[in-house]
Amino acid sequence: MTEVKDIFKDVPCTFCGCLCDDIIIEVDGNRIIKNTNGCAISKERFLGHAENRCLKPTVNGKSVPLEKAVERAVEIIASSKRLLIYGLSSTENDAQREAYRLAELTGGVVDNTTSVCHGPTILGAQESGEATAALAEVRHRSDLVIYWGANPAAAHPRHIPHYIRQPGEYIKDPKKDRQIWLVDVRTTTTSRMVDRFIRIEPGTDLEVIQTLRALIRGNKLDVSEVGGISIADLEKMATSMKTAKYGVLFFGLGLTQSYGRHRNIDAALRLIQDLNAYTKWGLMPMRGHYNVSGANKTSTWVTGYPYAVDFARGYPRFQPGEYTAVDMLARGDADALLNIAADPVAHFPREAVAYLAKIPVINIDPKINMTSKIAEVNIPAAIAGIECDGAATRMDGLPLYLRKVIDPPEGVIPDRDILRMMIKSLEKVIK
Amino acid sequence: MTGHLVLKNGIVFDPMNGVEGEAMDICVSNGKIVEKAPNNAKVIDLKGNMVMAGGVDPHSHILGSKLNVARVTSPEVNRHHPYPATSKTRSGVAGIIPSSYATGFLYSTMGYTTVIEPALPATKALGAWEEIDDIPGLDIGMLPLFCNSMISFKYIEDDDISGLAAYIAWTLKKVGGLGVKVVNPGGTYAWAYGKNVCGLDDEVPEWDVTPRTIMTGLANAVQELGLPHQMHFHPNNLGKPGNVYTTMQQLDTLKGTKPSGKKKEVVHLTHMAFDCLGVVEEGMANWKDVASGGLIFADYYNKNTHFTTDLGQITFGQSMTMTGDGPFQHSLYLLTGGKAKWSNIPVDVELPGGAGIVPFTFEPKSPANAVQWVGSLEFALSIKDLWRFFLSTDHPNGGPFLKYPLLISWLMSKKQREYWLEKVHKFASERSTLAEIEREYSLNDIAITTRAAPAKILGVERTKGHLGIGADADIAVYGFNPEKTDLANNPDLILKYFTQTKFTFKGGQQVSKNGIVGKQLSSRVISVHPELNEDLSKRIDSELEDMMGRWFSHSFSNYPVPMRYRQHLEMPTVIDSTAIQA
Repeated sequence: MTEVKDIFKDVPCTFCGCLCDDIIIEVDGNRIIKNTNGCAISKERFLGHAENRCLKPTVNGKSVPLEKAVERAVEIIASSKRLLIYGLSSTENDAQREAYRLAELTGGVVDNTTSVCHGPTILGAQESGEATAALAEVRHRSDLVIYWGANPAAAHPRHIPHYIRQPGEYIKDPKKDRQIWLVDVRTTTTSRMVDRFIRIEPGTDLEVIQTLRALIRGNKLDVSEVGGISIADLEKMATSMKTAKYGVLFFGLGLTQSYGRHRNIDAALRLIQDLNAYTKWGLMPMRGHYNVSGANKTSTWVTGYPYAVDFARGYPRFQPGEYTAVDMLARGDADALLNIAADPVAHFPREAVAYLAKIPVINIDPKINMTSKIAEVNIPAAIAGIECDGAATRMDGLPLYLRKVIDPPEGVIPDRDILRMMIKSLEKVIK
Repeated sequence: MTGHLVLKNGIVFDPMNGVEGEAMDICVSNGKIVEKAPNNAKVIDLKGNMVMAGGVDPHSHILGSKLNVARVTSPEVNRHHPYPATSKTRSGVAGIIPSSYATGFLYSTMGYTTVIEPALPATKALGAWEEIDDIPGLDIGMLPLFCNSMISFKYIEDDDISGLAAYIAWTLKKVGGLGVKVVNPGGTYAWAYGKNVCGLDDEVPEWDVTPRTIMTGLANAVQELGLPHQMHFHPNNLGKPGNVYTTMQQLDTLKGTKPSGKKKEVVHLTHMAFDCLGVVEEGMANWKDVASGGLIFADYYNKNTHFTTDLGQITFGQSMTMTGDGPFQHSLYLLTGGKAKWSNIPVDVELPGGAGIVPFTFEPKSPANAVQWVGSLEFALSIKDLWRFFLSTDHPNGGPFLKYPLLISWLMSKKQREYWLEKVHKFASERSTLAEIEREYSLNDIAITTRAAPAKILGVERTKGHLGIGADADIAVYGFNPEKTDLANNPDLILKYFTQTKFTFKGGQQVSKNGIVGKQLSSRVISVHPELNEDLSKRIDSELEDMMGRWFSHSFSNYPVPMRYRQHLEMPTVIDSTAIQA
């Protein structure tokens, strides 16, 4: 490492999709003592890395050596007819790539957390294409930034202060030269930070976007308001968007997972495409898990598809709704779950979780989570970006190299190595 | 693993060594072609089958973010093309934009062993290296983009060619690149303003640079460094009817660039099919009046020797257009009436970049597509010197690389051309001279334009593109006897034989047999590391730290691709560029 012994500079933070890489981490012995530049969540992630850890592999709640836990996991996998591998968005790319190998080997399904966050965003892009944005370009050029259905102040705390409210090459004063708007259904921490808050009625995103598209095209509408916003105000919005020099739309799950879902995104993509006939616009989903973008990327180059991939026929097939984790569990299609770096028990709907309780679950995670409680096999993992290195992808597609700043707890190894052990022993079983 | 091998009784086409259809044995030892293999070498009797060096493809978009965006947004193009796993090989999809493993396997079964990704946004290089780990069986190189970067502009504005060369050298080393790619110089930058450029002296927003100063500056810097591959150039005005004239103007502009080494060529004009559209007499520069520019450009090519080129042939059917030319891709989207799926990727720090992606179907009955198809064929059949030229489809733009056999059949068989001229819109016949062209490429011509010439153009001809002593043992054996097969009159045989080799060897190891890949071989990366003198090296380190610090959204120290992702793949060639003064 290039760093001085105990101080690591330019460390990417492995919490959210911002992947801020200006973090300074100070380590004393085997303890992280300081995180400079990180947001509150980042500080908690680094300083609290040793809390709530799963330190020993367990089978049925009993501590076992790692080899035994892997052996039992391989038994479960080998005897399952329809394995589901899920998670992967909070680990690094190498672990994801091993997971695809395992899915292929077992004829199972591999899905990442995209299916419960920006899955509809991808479906929208499959309808319309995607005019994306990049964070440096936004900082240098954008004079109008719109957040839609997102609350970065809570979920991506440095998105605004680190990337947006910063001077750029052609935006000298980020307060005066750049307008930040928020479109949302309720007041939030973010709504108090922005220059303009546009509150729309819940469930009207699609109508509001389509209205803006019509107004931008110069069409007259015979209604007085849409989504609780007067047509006069919407016209002003449309005009500002058309006359901006460089606009960008950041959208969150408030747009993606609300009424309309992928249709909302399809419409938003078309809105941005329309605007490019007049000026420059791009858009970007506010990706949550730090490496969910990477999960889409690695899955796409290895299998051709970004999530919801089935290998039952010996080659990858893609079918959201069919091979997505929640659907597979709710329908009772999977007969075993290998969960890596996610917490489905905490986040999935009740039917899916109820079914999970009936099938063997193998859970690989650094921490004790809700899924650990029902898992037959728990295997602790090193925290990527803190206890082992790797690569991850920022929300705008920029790949970054993650650092190891501290050793993992004794006997604890990275996700990728656990998966490699499983593959190796499975290859023997299959042959 | 067999370290030693004798391939007996092949009919060999090795134009770099003057071998044209001779029956001979080829000896292999430890991955190289040798004079004589040890006695314990494995012997394979090729029984008169045709042998060439492994294919070299210097322009094929096989990896990177643009390809992944295309895969994500268009799963339908791969859905019906599964590539199943075997006990030895990984699975994937094999449509027009195959997944990573399938890409390697499909190239292997076609007899290709070296492929260059011609558009790498350097900031995203880490992802590219990871992806190469999953593309088997090839030697891969990457060409980073330099043409719309604010850093390039700063040096060009200051007329500081040393600084520009040092920035290129620094980047090639830090990310493992092979050469310099230029795409629509100035135009992609203007795209950040929703604009484009079209004339050589057009203004570029905010900077005192023009397409002329950018392309000449970069071409000069490449020569100063002494890079093995000349500037790889996608010109302004791509895809515009009548652009053959502006393309020739741009090439004229580069005549002033002095070659620094033995190689005379200072620029490689890529995918000429998209750069050399003509217009009918007294016509306007629009799609209604488009005509073949093939003859005009062939004439220019025959008279001017300072450049090389490749075809970028369109092959009809579904394709996926993707370029670093953001404004062109947007115009293509508008051309579909806004119906197509248009994607755009700005790239941090190519500052701004702007790749675009639009799925596109080239229709045989479309007058414009038929004319574009015929223009590049007319060119290929009218040029004299094949050593400055190679075959490509600009995969997946003109069509997937899987269509190379079809392209070869058009060049080798007049009968095949006649059949296709019947199928396509009549403008192909009316607005070109293709119907009257008698020339048919020989197998030797195919060996030149798919192996020998591209290896020379890339500057890797010491080990690639031939079967002489010391070359890498990358060998393609095709399942027919050239002395007994009349390919020109049986174009279907061309498709059959060139789609699938009998054997493909990579580095002396057999990777495929009769279209079945039996070995998943790790790929290698060929790169160039120019060494600068200490003063220039110090200067560029501090200047880049300052500029990247101001202009990047990520930390300067996180720009280089760490060795952990490179050392098991990379075979860097160190070149001496220390003569460049600070």
